[in-house]
Amino acid sequence: MGSWRSSKTVPLLLLAGAVVLWEIATLGPRADFVLPPTEIARDVVGAVASGELLPHVTASLTRALPGFALGSFAGIVLGLVAGVVTGFAETVSPVVFLTYPVPKVVFLPLFMLWFGIGDVSKILVIALACFYPCFINAYYGARATPRLLVWSALNMGAGRLTVFRKVVLPCALPLVFAGLRVSLALSFILLFSTEMINARSGLGFLIRQAESNLRFDLMYVSIVAVAALGYASDRLLLLARRRALAWQEAGSA
Amino acid sequence: MSALARALRPFALLALGLAGWELLSRSGLTSPLLVPSLGRIGWELGRLATRLDSLAEVWQSLHRALVGFALAAVVGIAIGILMGRSRVAAAVFDPLLAGTYPVPKIALFPIFVFVFGIGSLSKIALVFLECLYPIVVTTYAGSRAVNRVLVWSALNMGASPARVLWRIVVPATAPYIFAGFRIALPVAMIVVIITEMLSSADGLGYLAMYSLASLKTDRMLAVAVAIALLGLGLDRVLVLVRDRVVFWERLDSYYA
Repeated sequence: MGSWRSSKTVPLLLLAGAVVLWEIATLGPRADFVLPPTEIARDVVGAVASGELLPHVTASLTRALPGFALGSFAGIVLGLVAGVVTGFAETVSPVVFLTYPVPKVVFLPLFMLWFGIGDVSKILVIALACFYPCFINAYYGARATPRLLVWSALNMGAGRLTVFRKVVLPCALPLVFAGLRVSLALSFILLFSTEMINARSGLGFLIRQAESNLRFDLMYVSIVAVAALGYASDRLLLLARRRALAWQEAGSA
Repeated sequence: MSALARALRPFALLALGLAGWELLSRSGLTSPLLVPSLGRIGWELGRLATRLDSLAEVWQSLHRALVGFALAAVVGIAIGILMGRSRVAAAVFDPLLAGTYPVPKIALFPIFVFVFGIGSLSKIALVFLECLYPIVVTTYAGSRAVNRVLVWSALNMGASPARVLWRIVVPATAPYIFAGFRIALPVAMIVVIITEMLSSADGLGYLAMYSLASLKTDRMLAVAVAIALLGLGLDRVLVLVRDRVVFWERLDSYYA
């Protein structure tokens, strides 16, 4: 039974079975919006080959990445500082925790009014949403630094900055990465929603356009592209974490 | 530092922000269309909270969020506990979850609209799907962490598997389930607002976009404040329920 958990064959078989069932189900009469998997695969290859997809992927990434980078960087820096400087934490963290359950999309209309309906308002909303998980995780990560380690370092003559760099930062890193992962997922959700709400390019726009033109092939292509992008970026982040936390044993995937 | 200053400190930043906003709106540097005064926003908020038709919009959003969330809670807890107590279920669901977790489910919304129509059902379905993940993941983690000795003891004393599930596994998992709820509930609000902004003729998300389109910035901001208060209120209620239901244990959550 020990092999059950680790084996990848069972889920792969299930997945293959589902795809085959889907294909068989679409052989008979079907609704217009249900496409067989083989046709979706063909459409994806076609859209990639014709270069129809690439500009939209680029447009989406130029919104998601700056937003994610901006928001998570600010969140991590401020969170770490709040974790170390008590006075700063007492001023900033109540506001952060109070506004945490607020859906950040509500700022999209306001940002659209202030910064136009272009990329800036989308990037800012993404950055805002990414800020929270990073701040909260970095804050708790820095606060969870074992006191004994800090005392030992201070005792051995390390300066405050050295303690921060050599003790607090490594201790906070696992949680910082946990925050980054949540933020990354959020950035994609907000990216596609803001693009679906208003944009002239990007995968969210492509989905909307395909939907209103009843181009179901294109709709599925963009959904596959969205899924692939979300999955790939998550894998990339996990890879970066594995490199950054190579010294850490506790392995939670 | 005096006790008063210490007590006021958490609100300092908020007060500063509001004061800055009011100052900017009164300075005449910006159009009231871009930065309406707090008084205007407050007045619109009051209207929103007292008029029956706008309360109907609030109820529409709330109802969608809560129904989707409740469905996700029931199904999510069932799947999570099943995964935690059965290796076969874990082997089937674990890779499935890990593979689809980072995929933004919002991309499926157009398909949901075709399948479930543009009414409430497609929105509820998306809320359900987005809420399901955090609830399953935390419930799974919790039910896996149930103290084995307790289960063994109960079995040894002749408890049936159903009894073990109800008297040991469920209570031991409850703190984790609530941790999942606290992640999922804001997600439910986010998804409802987004889907209402995308395609709807009612709900707060629609009201926000409609106010923007009719250049009623003060009303739009009032709606935004209402959404924020709703998100905050739901979270507070959840914490209250949690502290009553799971009074024996406080899981060290980030968002305490």
